[in-house]
Amino acid sequence: MPARTSTESSDAVGVRPAPERSATRTRFDRLLVLVVLLALWVALALTLERGTYWVGSPWGVASRLGSDIWGGIWRGLGFLAGPAWVDSVLGAMTRPANAAQGGEIFIHASYTLFEALAGFLLGAIPAAALPFLLRRLPIVTAVIDPFMVGGYGAPKLALAPLFILWFGIGIESKIALVAITVFFIVYFSALAGVRALDAKLVQMAQVMGASERAVARHIVFPGAVPYIFTGLRIAMPYSIGGAVIAELISANRGLGYLIQLGANNFDTTAVFVALVATTCIVFVGNWSVNVAERWLLRWRPPADLRAEAEGRP
Amino acid sequence: MTAEPLLEVSDLAKRFAARAGRDAPPWVIQGLSFAVKDGEFLTIIGPSGSGKTTLLNMIAQIDTASGGTVRFQSQSAPVGDPKALNPGLSCKIGYVTQEDNLLPWRTTLQNVLFPLKVQGRLNEKTRAHADALIRAVGLGGFERHYPHELSGGMRKRASLIRTLVYDPPVILMDEPFGALDAQTRTQLQEDLMRLWDLGRKTIIFVTHDIAEAIALGDRTLVLSRAPASIAGEHEIGIPRPRDIRGIMTHPDFSPLYQAIRAQVQ
Amino acid sequence: MTTTQGALEYTAEPRIRWRQHAVTFGRIAFALLLLAGWKIGADVAGPVYAADPVKVAQRIVEDTANGTLLRHIYVTVRLAAIGFAIGCFFGVALPFLLRLLPRLTNAVEPYIMASVGVPKYALIPLFILWFGIDDAPKLWLVGLLVFYPVFIAVFAGIRNVDARLVNMARVAGAGEVAIAREVVWNSLLPFFFASLKIALPRAVSAAIIGEFLVGNEGLGYLIEYSRQNFDTTGVFAGVVVATALVLVINAVLVWIDRRLSAWRPVERDMEL
Repeated sequence: MPARTSTESSDAVGVRPAPERSATRTRFDRLLVLVVLLALWVALALTLERGTYWVGSPWGVASRLGSDIWGGIWRGLGFLAGPAWVDSVLGAMTRPANAAQGGEIFIHASYTLFEALAGFLLGAIPAAALPFLLRRLPIVTAVIDPFMVGGYGAPKLALAPLFILWFGIGIESKIALVAITVFFIVYFSALAGVRALDAKLVQMAQVMGASERAVARHIVFPGAVPYIFTGLRIAMPYSIGGAVIAELISANRGLGYLIQLGANNFDTTAVFVALVATTCIVFVGNWSVNVAERWLLRWRPPADLRAEAEGRP
Repeated sequence: MTAEPLLEVSDLAKRFAARAGRDAPPWVIQGLSFAVKDGEFLTIIGPSGSGKTTLLNMIAQIDTASGGTVRFQSQSAPVGDPKALNPGLSCKIGYVTQEDNLLPWRTTLQNVLFPLKVQGRLNEKTRAHADALIRAVGLGGFERHYPHELSGGMRKRASLIRTLVYDPPVILMDEPFGALDAQTRTQLQEDLMRLWDLGRKTIIFVTHDIAEAIALGDRTLVLSRAPASIAGEHEIGIPRPRDIRGIMTHPDFSPLYQAIRAQVQ
Repeated sequence: MTTTQGALEYTAEPRIRWRQHAVTFGRIAFALLLLAGWKIGADVAGPVYAADPVKVAQRIVEDTANGTLLRHIYVTVRLAAIGFAIGCFFGVALPFLLRLLPRLTNAVEPYIMASVGVPKYALIPLFILWFGIDDAPKLWLVGLLVFYPVFIAVFAGIRNVDARLVNMARVAGAGEVAIAREVVWNSLLPFFFASLKIALPRAVSAAIIGEFLVGNEGLGYLIEYSRQNFDTTGVFAGVVVATALVLVINAVLVWIDRRLSAWRPVERDMEL
């Protein structure tokens, strides 16, 4: 085994360096990168001519986002606790400048989130159910297969203007767009899950006297859930992306609308604020799917054991 | 005990369907006949590939037969028509397969209770019975574990009591201890004997291990190679309760072993 | 041997033929059903919401004849192709570069993965602010959307190169460049091709969506412009052509993939 030097590429080729040696160093490096990126942002904003047009102002983003969020929280607390909060010492001290507003970002974010979530459920639930319903009718599955493949391959997001034409510029068009995008993705994952059925488990259940319905409920469905989750995880970013795209084209509310509004006003800072909010929603979405999966699939052996069982390295 | 056998297999035959353009496939099983009495522990020995699993599949009604009959409790069971098959013969025939086939998404306890649940027999009494079985095989404390958290031997035990818990009159066992190490295997054989002693079910136990067949069975059948039929039958006169660990020291063991060994060739 | 397997094996031949006919018949029937549904929907919903399929077909033929449709298609495909090339180039080059700087890679990795979470389409207005209203923002969009799947695939592929092969090559006297070319590149080819299958349709899709928001040519522009003028037939025509374009590209990719797989073992689990 050749000795390791700094130019040795065995590190980069995937043989990981000894963990104890570099965990702290990695964390330091990553922190350093973050600092460098932020410093770069500030530097560009300050030194470029009309820097804030190009990169927005970092402090502008921070302050607007911060005050908007705090404004929202302040108003929320006021709404919940009434005068008890508004007239209290802390409440009066932290009262935002424009108390009637504040929290705008939450309102728009909630519109986008609602569109994404409603569309997600509207698309995912039938898509997951369909392979189960068609389980005993393989001919029907075979008949619709090319249409499903076509629907999956067709660019649904490119249909956004069509949906806006049909449902107007309100949330319905966004929900419909997200739903149809999510549907095809989850359908194929659920189909794979139903097909991956272990025949031996079905036989075992039948020998023990399980009815067709019991087999579907206790064997087919739990076995398919991991596959469905893969589909959900893939579909989640598409649901938010779809909502935002439709909002970019035509809307009067939502984060996409805010982005477009900011751009139309040449207010780069506003665009960045909305972008940050959008990215946050994506992370929250990812996190939710992960949490749900970890709880629902806690019976799964850890990934390396699974890989071993399937014969992968 | 009635003289009428509980389960009777006559002239059973099996071949797999011909593929297009090939010759007629060979018979896997042909002219196989035997009977099992109520409360008997029957072991069947056969070399690998002799169709042991196929035989059990046919008895358990998860596979069709190409010929012959199967009679259970003096009634003919459907064997030829795939649509008429009744897996497990309405829970009269239990089947402990080679792989443990535990449901990975259920805990040990949930797995053991599974047949009771689908049969609608889940109540105080059956739950208590399940708990007793779990403790009897040493799985107490592991009720909330998922299958991937259990060792191979533990999963085997869970799979075993999962069939025992709903008390089918006949239990088929397909080399249940084959994949385990010698110590665990002996331990499980003893556990099985102890449990069987409590209820004296009818058991058909298939194995390739001659010593195991002698140690456990009241009677042993030897399967010939394909086309498989019964090559020999041996009464095992060793009185119960038996010393599983020291079975090889019993005077009757050696002659039995030699006789069976000769037939297995 | 399962019951169903056994049953199928008994009656294998005649059953399969009957089944295939039934499926083909069913598919044709379903397609006709969809078309009929479209026609009925158009009649019921009125010309504003649903365009008559016959009129849509006529419009497509008309526009093809006078060349405008082909021009739009050309613009979109050209945009997609250039953006695809750019995205592919960086998607492949960057991992190779990072390979030589393991410490930097480690430090930057979480940020790259985090940036995957930013919806790229949401950046279009920003790109318009930065790059103007010509092709540039659209090229950036397409490039980014192609870059990410290719980058992730090649990056993962490089990570998974068998170290033993690399060591063997090194022992045999190969230098860094030779190792990169021979061992690393060949090992990650399957990953790379798998990502291309995802990236190419995406490139076309992204070009169309970019054209919704900026520009005055291309399929996306055609669709959006028709919508703004309440020209439902135009919207439908554009959507039909756009969908057909992407489906054709998909089909071609599948065909190419199948031809290439004939001599190369293709791994199954490369969804990324």
